[in-house]
Amino acid sequence: MSRQRQIPRDIGLTARMILAMFLLAVLYLAFVGVLWSAGLSFILIAVIAGGMLLVQYFFSDQLILASLGAHEVTAEDSPDLHALIERLAAQFDLPKPRVAMIESDVPNALATGRNPRNAVVAVTTGILQRLDDSELEAVIGHELTHVKNRDVAVITIASFFATVASFIVQLGLWFGLLGGFGGRGRDDEERGAGAVVLVYLASILVWIISFFLIRALSRYRELAADRGSAIITGAPSQLASALLKISGDIGRIPNVDLRKVEGASALMFFPAISGESLASIFSTHPSLDQRLEQLQRLQAQLEAA
Amino acid sequence: MKLLDAILGRPKQPRSHEEDLLALATAGVSLETQLGLRSTGRGGLALRPVSASAFEATEDEMRRLLETGAREDGSSLAVVMDAYGYLWVVVHDEQLEDIVSSVYAATIAMADGGFRDQILAALFEFERDGKKVCWVYNFKRARFYPFLPLPAGQRRDNAEELRFAALMKEELPLEEDVSHWYGLWGAPLGAAGEISERARRGE
Repeated sequence: MSRQRQIPRDIGLTARMILAMFLLAVLYLAFVGVLWSAGLSFILIAVIAGGMLLVQYFFSDQLILASLGAHEVTAEDSPDLHALIERLAAQFDLPKPRVAMIESDVPNALATGRNPRNAVVAVTTGILQRLDDSELEAVIGHELTHVKNRDVAVITIASFFATVASFIVQLGLWFGLLGGFGGRGRDDEERGAGAVVLVYLASILVWIISFFLIRALSRYRELAADRGSAIITGAPSQLASALLKISGDIGRIPNVDLRKVEGASALMFFPAISGESLASIFSTHPSLDQRLEQLQRLQAQLEAA
Repeated sequence: MKLLDAILGRPKQPRSHEEDLLALATAGVSLETQLGLRSTGRGGLALRPVSASAFEATEDEMRRLLETGAREDGSSLAVVMDAYGYLWVVVHDEQLEDIVSSVYAATIAMADGGFRDQILAALFEFERDGKKVCWVYNFKRARFYPFLPLPAGQRRDNAEELRFAALMKEELPLEEDVSHWYGLWGAPLGAAGEISERARRGE
């Protein structure tokens, strides 16, 4: 697509992503070394964690959708939404994902699934009410870029050792105490105790460092998803407009009638779920300003070309 | 002070609804000069109806009260039910102050009858460049917030609402938590007529 060639590659963003992934890899290699030297039981923990992550990886779409109360909708249920997603999937050169709806006034859209062939795009009723078609396209384009970049897989794998580390930190003491180091005799026991402490400390360290690295990686991938949507839809300003409508305070203004709400108990008036308005399967996002700034640059580049 | 009050269990002296509504009346000038908003001459009070004879008696008392005020101020009033089953006291008057005082009189009558809890919210309608701009007063939370319904469907102009709220921050007790800015679409403010007209229950 000629449009894609008009926007130069963002070397800085790519470089930062690669750096984050590299540092994570180094961290994890060191961690594996510690685990290895400590004995078999901790490898067992790693295997168990790996098993859990495999489950999470393969069933991520169902898990997330179930937890959010999303239900799949057919083309008969939501013809316009299906048409929009079908059109976008073609533009992104992706197979058409399954479509799900979440009954919630909080504007939100997300995509999940381990690879493009098993992807699901979910939207809340809240976002459908607030955005017009081009803005919705831009937002779903962002989600489809995540699918295209296989961000589920990337972040799952990146989280693997962090998960092992957190496992060990939370359960490691018990594993250590319950034995499983093999070896008999006092020397072995002392060495075993030392290994427990070492692995525990290492796990804490890995957990903390990987937390920040994974957050950074997530942020970069969010910006990349913005970028991908802007380039392929050719409308960075629509994504900017959508973000402005659903992020921060604006996104928290309810689209519900007061008389509907009043029917609930007198104890209602809890704030709507605060936090990320445009959430995906990731927990961190770059700031709104950062995202808007990138989109502005892209818009300028598009217009200059 | 707030923390101390909370620890010692001292409730803050709440502002009265009267003071709050009065603030809107006095803010009328600012609303026009700073926001370009002019009252459309329409306002209303939304009430949850209760089928109890005591409520009817209170309602009659309220009508009598309102009738007196209406004759003095030249307002036109009506009581109508909306699609949600809520009762609205609708006031038409050229002066914002008179709309406010009629609405306030209605709340007094309700409170005196012991139905303070039925009062939901007051809605004051303004316009700017042909677009509807409403100020909602939520009685439970004793706060105002702007509400700009868009003509199509159940939509609203959130960006402008935030802008208006920022501009009126000093003049009105504003609802700071935007997640409580619930909308009031389709309020039957068009209804007008003599207060003696009973629109509900087919009477």
